[in-house]
Amino acid sequence: MTAAGESYQLYVDGFPRAVVGAELGDSLLSVLRDTLGVTSVKDACEQGRCGACSVLLDGRLAASCTVLAADADGARVVTVAGLGAVGLARAVRAMFLAEGAVQCGFCTPGFVVAVTDLLTRRPDADDEEIREALAGNICRCTGYGRILAAIRAVQRERGILPSLEESRARPDGG
Amino acid sequence: MLAAAHESGAAVALLSGGTDLVPALRSGERVADAVVALRRVLELRVRGAGADSLTIGAGVTYADLVGWSLSPGLARAARVVGSVQIRNTGTVGGALGSVRPAGDLLTYLTAADAEVLTASPRGTRWRPLGQFLAEGVEADGLVTAVRLARPGGPQVHVKIGGRQAAYPAIVSCAVVVDRVRHRVACAIGGVGRLPARMGGAESFAVDEVDWTTGTIPVQAARRFGDLVVEAVAGISPVLPVGPGESADYRCHAAGVLASRALARCLHPQATRATQPATTTELATDAQPGTARPSDPTAGPGAAGRGGGS
Repeated sequence: MTAAGESYQLYVDGFPRAVVGAELGDSLLSVLRDTLGVTSVKDACEQGRCGACSVLLDGRLAASCTVLAADADGARVVTVAGLGAVGLARAVRAMFLAEGAVQCGFCTPGFVVAVTDLLTRRPDADDEEIREALAGNICRCTGYGRILAAIRAVQRERGILPSLEESRARPDGG
Repeated sequence: MLAAAHESGAAVALLSGGTDLVPALRSGERVADAVVALRRVLELRVRGAGADSLTIGAGVTYADLVGWSLSPGLARAARVVGSVQIRNTGTVGGALGSVRPAGDLLTYLTAADAEVLTASPRGTRWRPLGQFLAEGVEADGLVTAVRLARPGGPQVHVKIGGRQAAYPAIVSCAVVVDRVRHRVACAIGGVGRLPARMGGAESFAVDEVDWTTGTIPVQAARRFGDLVVEAVAGISPVLPVGPGESADYRCHAAGVLASRALARCLHPQATRATQPATTTELATDAQPGTARPSDPTAGPGAAGRGGGS
């Protein structure tokens, strides 16, 4: 067990980061933001309800406010900044902007992590599955419609859904 | 280590997934001198199947259970706990260790006659879930596994509440039917401190079921709900209630859920037309991973449309 005052290491977005001086009871969220300065991970409810602090912890989507930082010693933590500049994560970010899925932007980092996680696991997720997978992320601005549209746009760009032109050419939906 | 910490008088908190404990530590609701983290104890993270029973390690997460074909009922109950984030981290042992009265999994486990294995310096022991919940875990012990009978018939778990991903259910109900042994079990969560079995309603249902076809008349399912309401009305203490979840409401909801759950187990055709398309009720009798557009309450998408946000 890691006690207060001892140090431990996290791999944040691919880089080893030593955590020194954190309290034993600190959550991964507070260590990321307050100790390591990774402020793209947002702090809202601190109860695992809103998803603003979503990260990938050893590859699995987690609310970092419900993870004890010391228990994550040695874990790989991926935030929105570490998802990658190319490929799926780039497409998700681009379509969030293009489709108006970003309004105040506070929930966006968590949503981008959750959406990237979903489309990695289930590239062809339908509306029902998308809504279920994102139920842990709350957005107070968009009403979710634009976020859903952004995800559909990512799927079109990646050839999983037919493009809008193809859909129009086949009004029956193909 | 746990025993030594206990003897030294230190306040030790056991950490599994952390979804309950970490926010509680942060808010000051829980205070601990030491935290013993169990996530890396791989022995707790296994699940297994015997000839008659299924054993689930305390460190198994809800996400691990979601697709478990050996226990579709447990898989469905686990599927509607919280959000992806919560299901990826929250564990079976955590659900038992923290014993939140509205914990959805406890309602299912109560109906399924689960047994709980605990370990302490004095050895290990199995206890029926009800006894475990009444006595709690020893100060120097921990929950290591849960054991269930292999399913012998349909199992349905339904609940009513606000946005599922953010809040536990207000009222939940699990019905477990054993067509081999001719048994019906029904548990209601969210009406008392702990989930309660509905013995009177269960006996009534056993007599009403046509066991050759595995069906029950519609009127009997309604009467089943009435009996549950009567039983629930006698349960105390009722949980602290908010404006939208009075004792009367919980009592009524318990009857509706029980009637609906029984009907889904034993007479599915009769209920489909009468199901209201409520967005807060989350039926869990859909096959995991398959959307059924014809039934708006059964699909997983209801999670994202919850009414409480």
